[in-house]
Amino acid sequence: MALPPHIAGGTGSAPSRTPVYALVGNPNCGKSTLFNALTGLKQKVGNYPGVTVEKKIGTAYSQHGQPITVIDLPGAYSLAARSPDEAVTRDVLLGRRADTPQPDRILCIVDAANLERNLYLVHQILDLGRPVILVVNMMDVAIKAGLEIRIDRLEHELGIPVIACEAVNGRGVIDLKLAMSRADLPLSRHAWDIPAPIAKAVAELQASLTASDGKPPLIARAEALLLLTDQDSVRVAGSTPLSSRTAELLRGWQQRWEGEGTDWASSLVNSRYEAIGRIASAAVTQAGAAGPTLSDKIDRFATHPVWGWLTLGVLMTLLFLSIFTLAEYPMNLIDGAVAALADGVKANMAEGDFRDLITDGAIAGVGGVIIFLPQILILFFFIGLLESTGYMARAAFIMDRLMSRVGLNGKSFIPLLSSYACAIPGIMATRTIEDQKDRLVTILIAPLMSCSARLPVYLLMIAALVPGEQVPLLTKVGIMLLMYALGTFGAFGFAWLFKRTLLKGEPPLMIMELPPYRLPGLKDVMLQMFERGWLFLRRAGTVILGISIVLWFLAAYPKAPDGATAQQQLAQSFAGRAGHLLEPAIKPLGFDWQIGIGLISSFAAREVFVSTMGVVFNAEAEGDDTAPLRQALLAAKWPDGRALFTPLVCFTLMVFYVFAMQCVSTVAIVRRETNSWKWPLFQIGYLTGTAWILSLVVYQGGRALGF
Amino acid sequence: MSSQFQTIAALVVVALAVTWLVARAVRKRRQPGCGGDCGCPSRELKR
Repeated sequence: MALPPHIAGGTGSAPSRTPVYALVGNPNCGKSTLFNALTGLKQKVGNYPGVTVEKKIGTAYSQHGQPITVIDLPGAYSLAARSPDEAVTRDVLLGRRADTPQPDRILCIVDAANLERNLYLVHQILDLGRPVILVVNMMDVAIKAGLEIRIDRLEHELGIPVIACEAVNGRGVIDLKLAMSRADLPLSRHAWDIPAPIAKAVAELQASLTASDGKPPLIARAEALLLLTDQDSVRVAGSTPLSSRTAELLRGWQQRWEGEGTDWASSLVNSRYEAIGRIASAAVTQAGAAGPTLSDKIDRFATHPVWGWLTLGVLMTLLFLSIFTLAEYPMNLIDGAVAALADGVKANMAEGDFRDLITDGAIAGVGGVIIFLPQILILFFFIGLLESTGYMARAAFIMDRLMSRVGLNGKSFIPLLSSYACAIPGIMATRTIEDQKDRLVTILIAPLMSCSARLPVYLLMIAALVPGEQVPLLTKVGIMLLMYALGTFGAFGFAWLFKRTLLKGEPPLMIMELPPYRLPGLKDVMLQMFERGWLFLRRAGTVILGISIVLWFLAAYPKAPDGATAQQQLAQSFAGRAGHLLEPAIKPLGFDWQIGIGLISSFAAREVFVSTMGVVFNAEAEGDDTAPLRQALLAAKWPDGRALFTPLVCFTLMVFYVFAMQCVSTVAIVRRETNSWKWPLFQIGYLTGTAWILSLVVYQGGRALGF
Repeated sequence: MSSQFQTIAALVVVALAVTWLVARAVRKRRQPGCGGDCGCPSRELKR
């Protein structure tokens, strides 16, 4: 086989500095799992495409203990970027980013069960003329599917090291590290025929990219091919623009081809596919006829228009049942420990401001939030299980039918799904969406997904829903499902509205890979669960502790005259005055000034509402015994003696928190992702306005109905 | 601990908390994001 003229034979010698490897591959082929296995880091992994939307950098060590820098790049099907996350991959590989070193070497990871499709990106990367190691991952899945991958044949055809791997079990990782440690890696010997009429255009563009854009010749050639076949249109912050000479040259060729009526770009793509087909047929053999796999059989049920929804509903019900039943015992333990700690401090310290700050501020505020740790852990354990098995991609498939009806892009599902944990990674995940309007719609509705910070608010309100008795389990589950459904369908409603007014446009068809079902990786699930638990505790021990201390001060100062009751003290404090200022606006919703203090403070983060209630109602409590927050809320009264936290008020508060934009961090991230203040301000306005209107409807409607 | 000393200690702690929260908010203005609190990439991963 003749070598292509652009690749000189030989090897890519080791770089003098710490070698930089880029880890690239199609979405959901196991890049992040391999990245974690190589670097020992804990980058989030999931059995669905689009988990990684930013580059991540870690350090692996060679067999001799030398450091190797590894950059995990977002998944891409081709270097012709269609979305901002794919553009990051393309720009790093082409050396277009000033903030990232161009990789010296490339680890191409492919899914063994879908080798031919995955080889398209590999083929483009080989054009870059960099040393490449091919990692054929998920060999176990390919074997189960009856595929035989001839690694030696693949190595021969491509002329680069090829490592068989099962990253999830750590198999092949040592072989890979040995290959990565090699001082000299062979350059690819792959060949493919560029149609002759295009070769001239490639050569001209390559020369211009080298001379005017300062690109090394091989990178320039790869970029020239990309510019001519693509569509290389998506530019992101950090992308360096083409020089005017190259841009003019490119326009000239495109106009010439348009004038001739020939589609040379497609010819170039077809030519590449032919070369890939030859490699794949030599390296892959299918034992027997491929029948429906177990995943296919499960999917007939799990993606069915009726049974699919039923399955989703049952799974969500099970999730919330577990949250309420399994968490009860550890929650009582934490509750008891928090109360005992507060009582212990009260018993061992003389009365005074510092003691009050510790008990009514720090312990009441932080304790009120950390009590929900067991439920947060259970929530993320179940989410991790569903992600790890591959079910989440099926949920996306089912939801897409509904989402496409309201005009939402199918790719919005993963960002919206991530938003159930927290809107911030969800909004960042919108980078996988190609269309700017669709991306903006998804950003605008992402905070409507009930994030984990709302969970403590919902749980506290559900606990306070029925005075004097335990709320029946099924009622708790039903209300919780209702809140999640309200947020989700509310989001779809707003998407429908935005797509018909502010951000008109046709939704593109969703093309999404349904990964095969896998047994859940318990290690990853547990790691993810503990990481989320740790983040929750860290927030409680830092931001929420800080806010609770400040809130205590605002509730305790200025001091009322001697002899004033706790209620009078709170009413004339800074916090009380702010609450009173807000009261006229929230009284129609059934909320008083004390709840108003919680609404103001929880703009910092939603769960601060719970800690605020802890501070406000503990500060009000008379006597030295610390009562559980639920009892303190149920004892709260309006000045005329009516109960403050009636079931209707608790329900209205939950509805308010489903819709209100109570998160300053989300505002900041929307500002960054949209590069403007217009959209975050609009988002605050429409979400808080909706929250107020719907809460008014619920409260006044409920009262009219006699609740 | 006398009542007066308790008041001074409490106010010092409040001042420290305010300073820390303000410093954190200023840092966020420069580098908006959740600072890793929400599970998005930590500084160790993202450079």
